[in-house]
Amino acid sequence: MNKNGYRADYVALLVVAVVLALVPVGVGGGSYYLRIATLMLIYMAYAVAFNIIFGHTRQLFLCFGALAGSSAYLSVILAKKLALSPWETIPLGILFAGLLGGAFSYVSVRRGLGVIFVGIVTLVFSMIFYNLILGLRELTNGETGLITKGLGAGVLEKARWSYYVILAVLMASLVLYHFLMRSRAGTAFRALTDDEFAAELVGIDVTLYKVLAASIGSALVGAVGAVYAYYSGFISPTVYSLVSVDIVVLVTLLLGGMGTLVGPVLGGVFFTVLDEIVRPLGRLNVLVYGVLMIVLFITFRHGLVAMLRKIGKLRIP
Amino acid sequence: MIAILVDGIVQGLQLSLMAVGITLIYGLGGVLNLAHGQFAVVGGIATALFVDKGLSPLVASSLGVLTAGVFGLVVDRTLLLPAYRSAGEERLLLGLLITLGLSFVVNGYLDFQYPNIALTLHLATPSVNVAGITVRTASAVTSLMAFLAFLLLFVFLKGTLLGKSVRSIIQNEVGAGLCGINPGRTRTLIVALSAMMAGLAGIAQGLFSSLGTEMGNELTTFALIVAVVGGVRSVNGTLVAGVLLGIVNAFASYYVGAYLTLIILLGTAVFTILLRPAGLFAYRT
Amino acid sequence: MGTLIGVEGIEVAYGDIPVVRGVSIEVREGEAVAVIGPNGAGKTTLFKAIAGMLKPRKGRIVYHGLPIDGLRLYDIVKKGIVYVPAERELFPQMTVLENLELGAFTNYKSRGERLKFVLGLFPRLEERRRQLAGTLSGGEQQMLAIGRGLMARPKLLLLDEPSTGLAPLFVKEMYHQLSRLKEEGLTILLAEQQVPHALAFSERAYVLENGEIRLFGKSKDLLGVPEIQRTYLGVT
Repeated sequence: MNKNGYRADYVALLVVAVVLALVPVGVGGGSYYLRIATLMLIYMAYAVAFNIIFGHTRQLFLCFGALAGSSAYLSVILAKKLALSPWETIPLGILFAGLLGGAFSYVSVRRGLGVIFVGIVTLVFSMIFYNLILGLRELTNGETGLITKGLGAGVLEKARWSYYVILAVLMASLVLYHFLMRSRAGTAFRALTDDEFAAELVGIDVTLYKVLAASIGSALVGAVGAVYAYYSGFISPTVYSLVSVDIVVLVTLLLGGMGTLVGPVLGGVFFTVLDEIVRPLGRLNVLVYGVLMIVLFITFRHGLVAMLRKIGKLRIP
Repeated sequence: MIAILVDGIVQGLQLSLMAVGITLIYGLGGVLNLAHGQFAVVGGIATALFVDKGLSPLVASSLGVLTAGVFGLVVDRTLLLPAYRSAGEERLLLGLLITLGLSFVVNGYLDFQYPNIALTLHLATPSVNVAGITVRTASAVTSLMAFLAFLLLFVFLKGTLLGKSVRSIIQNEVGAGLCGINPGRTRTLIVALSAMMAGLAGIAQGLFSSLGTEMGNELTTFALIVAVVGGVRSVNGTLVAGVLLGIVNAFASYYVGAYLTLIILLGTAVFTILLRPAGLFAYRT
Repeated sequence: MGTLIGVEGIEVAYGDIPVVRGVSIEVREGEAVAVIGPNGAGKTTLFKAIAGMLKPRKGRIVYHGLPIDGLRLYDIVKKGIVYVPAERELFPQMTVLENLELGAFTNYKSRGERLKFVLGLFPRLEERRRQLAGTLSGGEQQMLAIGRGLMARPKLLLLDEPSTGLAPLFVKEMYHQLSRLKEEGLTILLAEQQVPHALAFSERAYVLENGEIRLFGKSKDLLGVPEIQRTYLGVT
């Protein structure tokens, strides 16, 4: 593709960066909304990773919370026990998550697991992770969790700085996504999503590319999970549970649009707005949440990006 | 030792009863029902409400099961229609998300409307003597229920025309259509039937200990795991997988603590899937 | 001998791509008509449209004087049109007997007599009646697919590439049985790549290429057309 073909991508990335950078200004630094916005960025970044793993290689990883949590807990525990700086242990967490995700992918491809089976196996891993954290109480403090303040994460302990650091992580992940998808790997992804068997026949090493996607995506998840741990000042098993992470990410990406560049971003905005609308409803919020989910998925089953493309006749990447 | 085995089989049958609905709904409709646990809860809570109104446990249970069935029928004919209009993977994803939303709706509604209700059924005699072993009456009754339910299911699937048409749709939906079988109509019936079996499992839980409104998600999760281990479209597989995992659970919880038991159970599930990647009883295509 | 089924100018598309364009064919009662053409010509698409598995974008399909192009597959079976696809679509985990019996779903009560008829036609199936369909050989599966189709007492049988993957001896036997059925008054519409057999068996034929009818006429006459001889009969 020539340079002009990517112009839409660059424009989109620029717009996203600028708009999101201005959010703290618009929100006025009031800590509540800033926190909501920062969380939104976190979920967007998770969604980019999910986009790579599920959106582009059909691997239904329902263990994002566990991957993020593995990275986070590893990083925090090492920082605590070995008195290391978080900036030294975060890369270890990222590496661990990436390896774990890659391993899941490798085993799944080798054993020829279908989409549902991968989903269930990773779901089970999520549950194992949750119970491991609860069970290894001496190390992880179980249900009570660990405080991450004061471990030396520096910039991540300040609200405004955190926002921009996390925004940088999000932008980096979007840029990574862009370059990944326009590389040979991206072509391979498209081929194997379309027809895995045919891709093999054409000479594409499906195993390699699936594992690659899973490793990169999982490493990204690990990065976000670890950064989040220090930002929020506190981690516990529920922070990285299925409901807190995986379901949110699934909803975010599917609402936004799988396989697109800005899908995760739009989905994240949408989801955060939804969450804020539903929150004050108190007892009824779960019910309304469910109703909204159903209505939205029936209406936007191909995602917001697809709908906007149709309506606006725009090339939204 | 035998007592643990029996306990395991009893638990396993409950798991299978919950899971077989998932198998049937996926086999016939291509939808993984993430709200299946909620079907059980609806059945159980309806039973509790009927008991509150003064009906006998037996009558209340029957009505509860029926309520679950009606609920399933309504869901199939309304909410799931958009999913059925798609095909293949799109249908799977859409069905997943719609049923996920439904699980939230049911949870939220029950939590709001009946915050403190739970189904707990007590039987007159706490334990009976069966072939020399003392078992809880609850275990005996629930096993009998599950056993009968499965027996009826197998007779239905093997012996009746409708049951054969159900199996034919699971094995080859196009082929079934070529024989003049309307998959849509059959599917609604099976969804209702699956919901009723889930309702029955919910009531069994109420007999065993108690069924609360918040248990839906947990029930769904285990049902999913059992169904997938069994080979997500095989009824035989679901039965075997449930009993197998029930036995593993019983032995593990006897020898080790709660966390480790769960991990062993989950590990067994993963191990079995990896060993037989299409499930215990896979359907060759 | 009136027209049993008429396809009038139909266009069938996969998504946006039209695969069958402006196709009109006619089959009279008791006839055997062949549709021949290369791979990808649209023969299967045409058959699927008649069977109700695909909906034509344009045109109509008229059966016994009434339009059927909006009906679904399972309703069209009830009207007496039975489609036997190239993929056969059997029930692999069911026995030969169970497959056949399900074929009679639309008139299940009287299946016994029909079963005797079909098993008489295909003695090999009788031998393997309790065998699982998934374990049969290619030729046996094809026989079972046709047999299952016959169980529904069709007035019109649509056979899509029945000789695919079959040994030549098998193909001969199959066409022999089909001739017997033709004598009993069954109307057959047949799509084939094995042109010699198809033209020998049928009274009339249509040549479908690139989604359009190129030629049609009496099968005897088509055998003599030089283009047909070159393209389909391997005569140089």
